[in-house]
Amino acid sequence: MSQPKRPRVALFVTCLVDMFRPTVGFAAVGLLTEAGCDVEVPQAQTCCGQPAYNSGDRETAKRMARSVIAAFEGYDWVVVPSGSCGAQIVKDYPLLLDGEPGWAARARALSSKTREIVSFLVDEMGFSPTDVRFEGKVTYHDSCSGLRSLGVKAQPRALLGNVEGLELVEMADPDVCCGFGGTFCVKNPEISGKMVSDKTANAAATGAGTLLAGDLGCLMNMAGKAQREGRPLKARHVIEVLAGMADGPAIGEGRE
Amino acid sequence: MSARDRILGRLAARLQTGEDRAAAVSARLAGRRPETPRPSQSRTEGAAMVDQFCAKAKAADATVTRIASLDELPSALAAELRNRNLGPSIRIGADPALSGLDWAGIEVSHGTGRIEEPATLSVAPYALAETGTLAFRSGPDNPVTLTFLGETHFAVVRAADIRPGFEELFAAHRASGADPRTLNFVTGPSRSADIGQKLQLGAHGPVALHIFVVD
Amino acid sequence: MSAEEPTSRRFKENVREAMADQSLQKALRAAGGGFVAKRSAAAGAVPEFEAIRDAGRDLKNHVLGHLDLYLAEYEGKVTAAGGHVHWAETAEDMRRIVLDICRKAGARTVNKGKTMISEEAGINGFLEDNGITPVETDLGEYIIQLRHEHPSHIIAPAIHVPAEEVETLFREKHTHLPADRNLDDLSTLLSEARTILRKKYFEAEVGITGANMLIAETGQSVIVTNEGNGDLSQSLPKVHIVLASLEKIVPTLEDAATVLRLLARSATGQEMSVYTTFSSGPRRAEDPDGPEEYHVVLLDNGRTEMVGTEFQEMLRCIRCGACMNHCPVYQAVGGHAYGWVYPGPMGAVLTPSLIGVEEGGLLPNASTFCGRCEAVCPMRIPLPKMMRHWREREFERNLAPKAARYGIRLWAFFAERPALYRLATRAAMFVLGKLGGKRGRFAKLPLAGGWTDHRDFPAPEGETFMAAWAKAEKTKAAR
Repeated sequence: MSQPKRPRVALFVTCLVDMFRPTVGFAAVGLLTEAGCDVEVPQAQTCCGQPAYNSGDRETAKRMARSVIAAFEGYDWVVVPSGSCGAQIVKDYPLLLDGEPGWAARARALSSKTREIVSFLVDEMGFSPTDVRFEGKVTYHDSCSGLRSLGVKAQPRALLGNVEGLELVEMADPDVCCGFGGTFCVKNPEISGKMVSDKTANAAATGAGTLLAGDLGCLMNMAGKAQREGRPLKARHVIEVLAGMADGPAIGEGRE
Repeated sequence: MSARDRILGRLAARLQTGEDRAAAVSARLAGRRPETPRPSQSRTEGAAMVDQFCAKAKAADATVTRIASLDELPSALAAELRNRNLGPSIRIGADPALSGLDWAGIEVSHGTGRIEEPATLSVAPYALAETGTLAFRSGPDNPVTLTFLGETHFAVVRAADIRPGFEELFAAHRASGADPRTLNFVTGPSRSADIGQKLQLGAHGPVALHIFVVD
Repeated sequence: MSAEEPTSRRFKENVREAMADQSLQKALRAAGGGFVAKRSAAAGAVPEFEAIRDAGRDLKNHVLGHLDLYLAEYEGKVTAAGGHVHWAETAEDMRRIVLDICRKAGARTVNKGKTMISEEAGINGFLEDNGITPVETDLGEYIIQLRHEHPSHIIAPAIHVPAEEVETLFREKHTHLPADRNLDDLSTLLSEARTILRKKYFEAEVGITGANMLIAETGQSVIVTNEGNGDLSQSLPKVHIVLASLEKIVPTLEDAATVLRLLARSATGQEMSVYTTFSSGPRRAEDPDGPEEYHVVLLDNGRTEMVGTEFQEMLRCIRCGACMNHCPVYQAVGGHAYGWVYPGPMGAVLTPSLIGVEEGGLLPNASTFCGRCEAVCPMRIPLPKMMRHWREREFERNLAPKAARYGIRLWAFFAERPALYRLATRAAMFVLGKLGGKRGRFAKLPLAGGWTDHRDFPAPEGETFMAAWAKAEKTKAAR
């Protein structure tokens, strides 16, 4: 009997997951493997270049884009546990390198095979979690880039629907920005602080004990605010729950 | 060099493309434009179109009465004035459609809108089923100030003059050859949400708009 | 430049003041999601809405590519209808042209329909300085004129004023009315304003309106209002002046329909605003009402310099306000914080274009790039992309703050050297993880005040993913 070839998937782990929440990286590897992929982690990766791109440093952003392309173009798929970094590769690399001989085509090629992880699992692999439990109410924040640039909306909700014991309660304005915005949150701290407190208030109003999202930047912002406000709200990346790896400390929670 | 020439000159210098831009403009002005989508609600026909006009006008807070012929207008108007506790008087223009009517019981005055004007009546030469909108042409027949100064504005439109969408209405307007100073589209009575962002009817224009549709 | 000095340079101070202003915050909360829900319902009710947005974008792109030709065509039609077209390269030119027309008309009072171009050109202050009284007739504009303020929103100018402050204001300003009158509900406030302004319509010698569109085919100007004030302002005085910027042109009546099908739905969630008026020229010979003179003043004020640049697409804007209604930054601080005429995302792009990036540069930086503005813009203007273009211009010209530039350079130095980056992040996360591990977060962190003033900083788990992964791979290989 011939098995269909397992796709070779490169994990772009993202700088924030690499540094702050390796659990999310291992959850990604676990889910991709279970979904039938051979996962590799290219060693040359650091960051997608968004900090430079969004600060107006286009030349640095281009150099970063070229390094990511060179490191990742040899795989069947590139999968990213972040809508924001995913959109940078999918939407912005082709724009950044448009008109650059050689690179323009390579940017488009990489763009066409790069996916945000939850949408990859559903849309490309037809994956659905089995035998995963998570007790309690959760609410889900739609991170901006994933939602509006990549159309990630139904997929996480569909997968969460297959987790036993989990009840998803929608918050008011789940699609409104949490106020992270990369360097925005330190360049415009008061506005960012207001936006994130609106977000944690909406999340808390659902009565959910856990706040999920697909982007670690947003999650660190929301977790930090909820903790500062003393709200009993644990923040986790959605794939921690989907991979059954939500038993350790939540984001910003101590190991006591 | 005038300001005009400098502005147009700057634009022209920045916009040269090598194509024949003048030809593209002429074609567009001659009505040749790319196939343009329109809302399906702008494509109703026949009785459904008239019904949609009435429904959309009501949704915009107008009230509507359908009458069988223009001869019924004076009695229908008298009834509406009574219903609204308004005196039996109306201000109108010189529209020939209204001149032959028997206004028995209603005091009719002719002319433009005045500062205090409880009730005015205008004839709409067209209406839009797309959005429940009336369209008026300024001029002696229906002075434009009647549309804005009446506390209650009454309007009459023939069902046959209702058009499905803007495209048909503009075609009819061009065909009429009329060249009024203003073409006024009116969708419901005046309103404002500028105090506390709460919508209230009757800002500067009419507090109420009542439409007689003549079948 | 407007007659009013912009305060966009002070954006950060403006923000702090706005966030501390309880009355503003209350008004913003009250207005809140109303526009969002209404726009969503209106757009959702038209299956063709997205296709009409595409058509709107294409239409405006076509106009901008042929703007000189359409303007000349339009001018010819206005003149043929007995109107006058004046060309203003700058705000100052527009002020002078308007004053000349008013003086020739012997004007003492000028009625104004709502026009943002008038705000841009600083018409009101200039007329006052020259002994002419401008009276704003849009209810919201009237309220803020009484308060000596400027609009904080392009379609809801008094959105920052809570209802109860309107009562206080009317009692203070309408001193000819009995002090003990009842103004308990909103309808009495509306009717008081209506009565006062009704009289003013009949007194003014000149009426000024803006224009939502100018139609090249017919030489008509188009205004869209809900109150009817624009129509009374243009129909009762003997002179009508239309203030418009160059890019308001559409080719034909049908093209105007495309814009109208998008405008009200995007702005207020109506299918059509109450009054949409197409005007051309002065009253006809047989007309019993309407102005005896019709003037259009076309304003450039920097727009021709946007044509052919990466900011040209901004000139597609039809001023519906959807971007600010959907902008979480605007919703947090209101419109005045932006410091000039145009707030919200469209203002963040347009302000640096019109008054310079040195003055307006902070505005395009005040965005998370959440993309909600672009998602609802009826003209599909890529607002975040253009805000990024401004950041790029600032970066190229060394206008970005030093700390930010050094920060980016330092980060890029490591990020472009993966091996060094591995070592550095591994060491840093090890230390941070140890320091924060037990509690899991930091309430204060050196150099991270922007973050920790408002929220805790989550501690890393300790080991980096790349290090842990390498270790796991090694173990696997050894087995």
